[in-house]
Amino acid sequence: MPPIVQITNVVKEYPLGKLVVRALRGVDLTIEKGEFTAIAGPSGSGKTTLLNLIGCVDVPTTGDVIVDGHATARLDDKALTKLRLHHIGFIFQSFNLINVLDVFQNVEFPLLLQGTASPAERKARVEALIERVGLKAQLHQRPNELSGGQRQRVAIARALVTNPSLILADEPTANLDSKTGADIIALMHELNQTQKTTFIFSTHDSMVMAAAQRIVRIADGKIVTEGAAG
Amino acid sequence: MTPQLLLQMAVRNLGAHKVKSLIVGSILFVGTLFIVVGGALLDSVNAGMEKSITQSVAGNLQVYSDKATDPLALFGGMSFGATDIGEIEDFESAVGPLRELENVKTVVPMGIVNSTVFGKNDIDLVLDGLRTAVATGDEAQKAVLVGRLRRIVDTLAEEIATREAIVADKEKLARDQEALREAGSQAFWDGFAADPLPALDFLDAKIAPLASDARLLYLRLVGTDLELFKQTFDRFTIVDGEAVPPGEPGILLSKRTYEKLVKNKVARDFDKIYKEWTEDGKRIADDKATADAVSRMARQYQRIVVQVSPDQVPALISELQSALGSKETDLGTLVQTLLTVDDVTIESRYALFYKAIAPRVRLYDFPVGSEITLRAFTTSGYMRSFNVKIWGTYEFKGLEKSDLSTAMNLVDLPTFRSLYGKMTAAQQAELKDIKTQVGVEDVDRGSAEDALFGSGSIEAAAPVEGAPVVEVAPITAASAEAPAEVATLVLNAAVVLRDPSRTAETQAQIQALSKEKSLGLQVIDWKAASGLLGQFATVVQGILVTVLLIIFLVALVIINNTTSMATMDRINEIGTMRAIGTTRGQILVLFLTETAMLGLIAGGLGAITGGLLVAWMGVVGIPAGADILVFLFAGPRLHPTVGIDNLALGVISVLCVALISAAYPAILASRVQPVVAMQGKE
Repeated sequence: MPPIVQITNVVKEYPLGKLVVRALRGVDLTIEKGEFTAIAGPSGSGKTTLLNLIGCVDVPTTGDVIVDGHATARLDDKALTKLRLHHIGFIFQSFNLINVLDVFQNVEFPLLLQGTASPAERKARVEALIERVGLKAQLHQRPNELSGGQRQRVAIARALVTNPSLILADEPTANLDSKTGADIIALMHELNQTQKTTFIFSTHDSMVMAAAQRIVRIADGKIVTEGAAG
Repeated sequence: MTPQLLLQMAVRNLGAHKVKSLIVGSILFVGTLFIVVGGALLDSVNAGMEKSITQSVAGNLQVYSDKATDPLALFGGMSFGATDIGEIEDFESAVGPLRELENVKTVVPMGIVNSTVFGKNDIDLVLDGLRTAVATGDEAQKAVLVGRLRRIVDTLAEEIATREAIVADKEKLARDQEALREAGSQAFWDGFAADPLPALDFLDAKIAPLASDARLLYLRLVGTDLELFKQTFDRFTIVDGEAVPPGEPGILLSKRTYEKLVKNKVARDFDKIYKEWTEDGKRIADDKATADAVSRMARQYQRIVVQVSPDQVPALISELQSALGSKETDLGTLVQTLLTVDDVTIESRYALFYKAIAPRVRLYDFPVGSEITLRAFTTSGYMRSFNVKIWGTYEFKGLEKSDLSTAMNLVDLPTFRSLYGKMTAAQQAELKDIKTQVGVEDVDRGSAEDALFGSGSIEAAAPVEGAPVVEVAPITAASAEAPAEVATLVLNAAVVLRDPSRTAETQAQIQALSKEKSLGLQVIDWKAASGLLGQFATVVQGILVTVLLIIFLVALVIINNTTSMATMDRINEIGTMRAIGTTRGQILVLFLTETAMLGLIAGGLGAITGGLLVAWMGVVGIPAGADILVFLFAGPRLHPTVGIDNLALGVISVLCVALISAAYPAILASRVQPVVAMQGKE
């Protein structure tokens, strides 16, 4: 079975005034389908940059990033958008829900963008997911009426609603207290186990790392160690 | 993204960004209000002006000669004889085919000429009367008029005395004073009783010139088929006297001309002050201009006093004493007292003026029923005089207070032809005959200098040996008083349509017909025919559009800035949407939808408010403060109406401005990269 993510000798540089900042300096990484992988490292180590490249919200300066069989460097904006919509789910550190939509609508939003499911299918799938993340009672509340943990659960439901092959989570517990953070990780882990969805998340929280099946450590734009957790 | 969600997000985003929505919405609201109200007022004024012009004199279309040198301007060009709009040769043949057009209701022949009328001063009138009384031996009338004449002489003597200090020609002053002393002496009047004619000649030669100059009135005359005119223009109505009987020569003065130019000056001044006091609320105590006008009017009391017949003086003094509660015995002082009105006495004094004084003075220089001598420069350049009877006065209903609508006085076509100076066929034949007999040839204006001074191709005319002497009959008073024949001359014609909404279509038909049948006509619509006045709406429209463009430009900048700033605040949200699969196009549509929604809501509210405002104005009416407004409003008040087109124009224009303003911020939003979502904080 081909890997879900194949990264080969990736370099990512950012211009910063007259300087060029090299965020990734030749990264090679392979992630198989169904993995529950943590990318760990201190702030500024390059873990978010790596996640951006995997999530197709950015493209490498050099090297190859292949996501679910698609080489991202060769895709235009439209194709990258389509790839994100159909193959990747995002969970953000700051939840990033759309404030003017309620819980149901936020979760439904990616399905509406896809435009393939019927209203009945959408309703059934969205309600099932919301129930799964334990927010049935908050179905029609707006994000600003929810707690941080609840918002992240909505974000998880939104990431899952299109049945993506890969879910990326950028420090998903950073804005949550430890108990809520643990609950969120547990939920993600459960979904990984039951739905076989691949999870890749960046973190520097040891508790989160402990839950990971595999930890990729990164420092100064390079992978320093790679292996099973614990 | 479904349209339903798009709209829902758009509406909710408007609520979520209240400050931006409020600023942009307010601008769009005011913009729509301005367009709706401005547009409705302009349309109403346009409609009012169309009514005023088409229903008074112009008709819906005007036809005139296609050989015209100048354009036809019914309300413009007061220059005497300076405009040349040609003539419609053989009117009946030329307009006959027009009458067969299905949308043409009537074709009214016309011609415009400017004329002057000399008003006589008081002494002239009294002297005329006195000569008649002397000739007819009417002793009673003679006594009355001598009394008036002596009063005028006394008044003139007083006036001359007041001028003594400022007059430069002291010798002339002395001569005038001597003449007045003589005319005021009992010996002079004893001489008059014995032999009136030398005394009258003395008064004519020495005293009459000392009186104020008689007024020169300028009258714009429309020569027309008066019967057809009356039938065609529904608003036309006779106010005083009667319509000119068919076939008779005569003039109908406009009521406005009659009241403002022909009426006694003191009465006119009093009318104006009273009107401003009652209708405009101008109080004498508060308004300096009105107080000054009262003061000026009171100083004119002599104009009244000299007109009162001596036999009427005691009765008038008694009536004024009783009404004013005065024991004053001098008529001049009593009249001056009557005219010195204040806010308390004005109403009773005005009534008293018309009850006691008006019947005892000559209220109009040329009363209805009298004859006036119209003078006009003919097309040949010489002055032509013509006596016509004033049969009555007329006005256009609803436009009574508009000077413009009643700027024209109506005369019959033969009179017009005489004043215009167009020779009849018989006169032309006679002239040709004379030319043949004396051996002269025509020289046009361009060649006149060469012809007169001997250079160029035309030889100076040499006396023709043996040419017969032609006797030309002198023009007598009788020949000047009645047209030689009823041949008519038509310069232009008003075409009245059955369906005015098809004016442009019928105009094109007439133009085509004229070309096809070589009718020699050109056709213009009422707007063009009314000259500069007709362009008023276009000018106001231009100003309105310019103001709107400026407002829109400012709105564009403000909306653009505000929306751009709001977009910057939403970068994280946009980045998130992009990250989870929203395309650039969908972001663009979302932002434009938000602005469109705001435009529709604010524009809708603006249109409703504007509509209600115009409806309210329609009920209350906007008063026409100035004469031109009475004309443009087609009455003393404008009752504007608002149409669906005004509302739609308001909303659509504002929507367009909003979308243009929001285009740049929307493009900016669509360029937000999804990677932003990974960096931002909620």
